[in-house]
Amino acid sequence: MELVIENLKKKFDKKEVLKGINFTFEKGKIYGLLGRNGAGKTTLFNCINEDLEIDDGSFYLNDNGKREIKAEDIGYVVSTPNVPEFLTGREFLKFFIDINKERINDLKTIDEYLDYIKIDKEDSKKLLKDYSHGMKNKMQMLINIISRPNILLLDEPLTSLDVVVAEEMKDMLKKIKKDHIIIFSTHIMELALDLCDEIVILNKGVLEKIDKENLDNEHYKNKIIDALKEE
Amino acid sequence: MLDTFKIAFKLKTTYKVNAIIFSLKRIPLIKKIVPDDWYNDVNIKTLGNVFNIFREIGTLFIGKIIYLFFMFMITSLFFENEEANYILHIFIFSTFIGTIYKNYLFESSNDNYYGVILMRMNAKEYGISNYIYYILRTFIGFMPLTIIGAILLNIPLYIGLLLPLFVVLSKITMMGINIVYANKTNKYEPLFNGVPSIVATVILCILAIVLPLFNIKISNNLFLIILFILTLTSIYSIKKIFEFKDYLKIYKTTLKNVNDFDKFNNEAVLRENTQKQIEYKVKYDSNKNGYAYFHDLFVKRHRKVLTKAVNIQSLILLGILVLAILLVVFVPESHDEINRVPLKYLPYFVFIMYYLNRGTVLTQSLFINCDHSMLTYRFFRRPSVILGLFKERLKTLIKLNLEPALIIAVGLPIILYLTGGTSNNLNYIVLFVSIISMSIFFSIHYLVMYYLLQPYNANTELKSGTYKIVQALTYLVCYYMIQIQVPTLIYGVCTIIFSVVYSIISLILVYKLAPKTFKIRN
Repeated sequence: MELVIENLKKKFDKKEVLKGINFTFEKGKIYGLLGRNGAGKTTLFNCINEDLEIDDGSFYLNDNGKREIKAEDIGYVVSTPNVPEFLTGREFLKFFIDINKERINDLKTIDEYLDYIKIDKEDSKKLLKDYSHGMKNKMQMLINIISRPNILLLDEPLTSLDVVVAEEMKDMLKKIKKDHIIIFSTHIMELALDLCDEIVILNKGVLEKIDKENLDNEHYKNKIIDALKEE
Repeated sequence: MLDTFKIAFKLKTTYKVNAIIFSLKRIPLIKKIVPDDWYNDVNIKTLGNVFNIFREIGTLFIGKIIYLFFMFMITSLFFENEEANYILHIFIFSTFIGTIYKNYLFESSNDNYYGVILMRMNAKEYGISNYIYYILRTFIGFMPLTIIGAILLNIPLYIGLLLPLFVVLSKITMMGINIVYANKTNKYEPLFNGVPSIVATVILCILAIVLPLFNIKISNNLFLIILFILTLTSIYSIKKIFEFKDYLKIYKTTLKNVNDFDKFNNEAVLRENTQKQIEYKVKYDSNKNGYAYFHDLFVKRHRKVLTKAVNIQSLILLGILVLAILLVVFVPESHDEINRVPLKYLPYFVFIMYYLNRGTVLTQSLFINCDHSMLTYRFFRRPSVILGLFKERLKTLIKLNLEPALIIAVGLPIILYLTGGTSNNLNYIVLFVSIISMSIFFSIHYLVMYYLLQPYNANTELKSGTYKIVQALTYLVCYYMIQIQVPTLIYGVCTIIFSVVYSIISLILVYKLAPKTFKIRN
């Protein structure tokens, strides 16, 4: 399965942020999306998630034939975690499972899911508004991966987590990557190199894959930075 | 020091001009005309600076004019026709009170936050230079006013000339006291703060008003002596003010509540207040499933603003109804008057139903405490989820609004009947049904508008101009309904038909369009 983006364009007022994105993302890989501040990474995600109307171009799934992307195909983890504050973690999970039962293949119990992201029983009965940033982030991630959407968009999901949680999340992503197309935006070069199978940079409104060829990490890093510096 | 002051003043001017441009850019229609590069436009900035200078000059006098006017009014209140005799006495004590509350350095302001904390300007130079500016402004601002006042009240001119000096010397002395206090205690707060400031104020007020009642007042000569003492204390204070080093600590203490700048923004306050509506008790659980479960918990955890508020509304209405019934039963003379209310004033009830409606409260809480975060999940925007929840929400809103509506709908026919009835029995039914249909109409109207126009952006700002226009129109239409003069029967039947047709059309629209329109605005 592939996510194909063709000539995607988006501008705000007069400013062209995305100037014709052409790219094919494949299933089974984690793509590290790098770009300088304001390069348009979040805009790209918002376009794919249909939060923003695009000005031109198209994107679709290629799954033995072209097909439209439906809401259930996409999981989008935004950088500031959004959770319904009036529910407890457990209740949020129950609601999600309730309405997605038939879409979830290997349905587990609520406790199993909570164990999976290491949220203990006591905490699962607290209102989400009292969760720490990291815990909210874990809940958001969990909700987005339970139903196994084909595409996972992760907008700097690990940046604000403590080292232990970040490591847990990384392991989780590695475990699930074979079933998904994962695009992971980050500012942390080491994280991108460590976790991602491909590095893609967004610069001057276009996407470009940086091939590793047979470079060692240090040279590869320099190559990426040079590409990002290009004006 | 002069450089520091100049920079601080420029900074203040710049951000004030920017703030004006920013607020212009938030007004619909006008924002289209205001280009982004206004922030960089030299001419606009010059215009802003000129405006700012006028404002500096204006504020130099306006506050003081109001202050002196009030002082004169108070003096008049106690000592009518003898104002000239006592106003100096009151002015002196009032100035002392002023030194407690208005003494620049310990006041928290955005200017100080930007200058000292954000821009890291030299706190001592910033503090002293701005204090000098403040003292000069006070002196210059008072001078013409006290002279004019002295002439008008026939007080010796030298008093009028010396009063501004008296004000600034009092302020400087108080400042000196505060600085010495800060140095001694390391507290970096003014000496009179909290309870002590209130006690001091009360004592000074009593001295200002009560002493003259016993014919004791500060005479012109005593005033001169006080002025002389204040001159000595001020010289000492100025020395202390210049010697003092820890201005930064003062700023950090007074500004600790200001640095959360989010608090200055309306949306943030609204968000915070709405989030506080969430009430969590274990017993507010739900045994439902799916959308019903999700929504049930939402309603239960927002009882305060939803069910409880509606119950109070209904109780009040019920009370009014009972009173009306008692009046009708025990005061038969009132029958003629009251008999006309249900039939003649039915149009007014559109307006009443408009005010009783919980639609605005519900949609606001829904957005801030629920949809604002849930809409970032793509599954939440599946048509089935949007419509499933829409149904649950509509049921709730209709139910909430029906509770007070039922009391009115049942109450009006009862009162009509008790006061002598009507020539056409159909009126009873029309009254009942039209009130109920108005209530349902408003419920559907608000929720449909919310789903079709979802007006908020991620910062919970109201972004949709159309939504604001529809809101205003709703109000205007309701208001206009009051003016309509048609027989109740026709009016009632029209209301019912309109409500039913409107509801059907808007529900069809929601089912067709909401999956596209119900998302966070940009």
